[in-house]
Amino acid sequence: MIRMLQRGAFRALVGATYLFLLAPLACVVLVSFNGEAVQSFPPASWSLRWYAHAWAQESFRGGLLVSTLLACGAALIATPLAVAAALGLHRSRWRGRPALEALLLAPLVVPGIVIGISLLIALAALDVREAPLRLLIGHTVAILPYGVRTVLASLARLDPALDEAAETLGAGGWARFRHVTLPLIRPGILAGLVFGLILSFDDVSVSLFLADARTNTLPLAIMSYLEYSFDPSVAAISSMLIAVTLGLAVLLERGFGLKRLLAG
Amino acid sequence: MTVAAAGSLPGEAVPVAKGRPALAAALRHPAALLLLPACVAVAAGLLLPILYLLALSLNPPVTGEVALAGELTLRNYARLLDWFYFSVLLRTLWVSAVTTAISTVLGVAVAHSLWRTPPHRRGLLVVVVLAPLLVSIVARTFGWMLLLGDQGLVNAVLLRLGLVEAPLHLMFTQGAVIVGLVHVFLPFMVLSVLAAYDRIDPAIPEAAGTLGAGPFTVFRETILPLLNPGIAAGVTIVFSLAMSSYVTPALMGGSGAGVLTTLIYQQLVVTYDWHFAAALVAVLLASTLLLLGAVLYHNARRTRAWMTRPGSAPR
Repeated sequence: MIRMLQRGAFRALVGATYLFLLAPLACVVLVSFNGEAVQSFPPASWSLRWYAHAWAQESFRGGLLVSTLLACGAALIATPLAVAAALGLHRSRWRGRPALEALLLAPLVVPGIVIGISLLIALAALDVREAPLRLLIGHTVAILPYGVRTVLASLARLDPALDEAAETLGAGGWARFRHVTLPLIRPGILAGLVFGLILSFDDVSVSLFLADARTNTLPLAIMSYLEYSFDPSVAAISSMLIAVTLGLAVLLERGFGLKRLLAG
Repeated sequence: MTVAAAGSLPGEAVPVAKGRPALAAALRHPAALLLLPACVAVAAGLLLPILYLLALSLNPPVTGEVALAGELTLRNYARLLDWFYFSVLLRTLWVSAVTTAISTVLGVAVAHSLWRTPPHRRGLLVVVVLAPLLVSIVARTFGWMLLLGDQGLVNAVLLRLGLVEAPLHLMFTQGAVIVGLVHVFLPFMVLSVLAAYDRIDPAIPEAAGTLGAGPFTVFRETILPLLNPGIAAGVTIVFSLAMSSYVTPALMGGSGAGVLTTLIYQQLVVTYDWHFAAALVAVLLASTLLLLGAVLYHNARRTRAWMTRPGSAPR
């Protein structure tokens, strides 16, 4: 009897936790289709008017453009750097290797807000005040370790015999990389790239101090919109973000495994 | 070098001048060339800026000034002893601690149920738990604003059930911040604990069950001790993320619920006191890294002790 109660209480707790995790997301999607001007539960009528309203906001459109360019730019710069670094770490037998690995993974343990502020101050001291450049540097550094990690994970599962066989058959360094190593680590590279895109696109803490009025990212534009008005257009734009990221999440789960990616 | 020399036996060769040739040799190696761009990027984009920030925090405060001065002072750090700023620090620690405690309980429960779920149904549930991590933190916080607002779902349900007369003011409180933070960081806890679960031999709890232990006793006596490293890792991650989170406290906290990050924002954007802000950032970074280091050190020691004493399980 007590065991049944224990089991029932445990199931209720887990069920409530799943509800807790999903409720706010479901709520955002539900409210985005609200037809009324005020947010009420349940919505009295349904429409897409808030999607149109969100699209009409200059700050959201500008933010979408900045965030997209920034995410693509940072991911395209960080990924080759990360692939090269992971290959270097994988081959290195040098004593200083653990220190280099710690350096490359350091952005993981430094809070985003610290990355943003220290870059802001250091670049201001160098008289660099261009927001796009600041954002690109900050985002590239912040997402770099994820690429290093996913590529290292792929390299760790690589059979060294394949590379040796190619060498015995007379393939040079570049040919071995191009035709043996690269195809085998491609899932790791792509996972790091997509994950970097998501992180950069959704980032607030790194961008918070690096953006300015003319160059604002989408999440920051949503935050400042929320300070002045609280209408369902934020729900509409958030729903679009949820749809895009969940789509990419499913892609990542199929290609690499979300758990492996996030737990490293 | 002196430490290394003091620690070596007399007569043993001390590798004094090995650093420079080793570096030169490493640079000739292709691996070094591969590593160079990324290392330069992180050093220039993260390490040097942080060092600059730390140096600036030791300069006397001058509004809007970012150049380093020669004069060193601890005045910026001393300001933290002022009760207003000290209470912000205490509140930050308290909010982070409560968030971590709740996340630990819920995270272990969810990880346990995932571990119990048969593998073919587990994949979808893992995605349900982890997908929120990838959803914009602004969208997730906005969801909580919708739920907890005066006209939100929670109040609508409470009013309809007749449990309250007037809507409760749930938003813009410390409780709202904690709810939001738990939601944002719970998946990290689940991940860490799940990693520990994956290393548990299912025969151990089964054996305890066969010997007559109830499910709760099995959990407490056989599973929980094995989960310790995973829980420790999760606690570190969640606590440091909660300490440094900005969006949730800024959007869901009221004027009386300011935390370290919102104070930093205020100093940088409103009062332009960059030196004091640098000191606050240093405090934030130091507390995060100290905690991380302590847990890593503790885990490493335990792993070593376990490895050198075969036959005893890690506790």
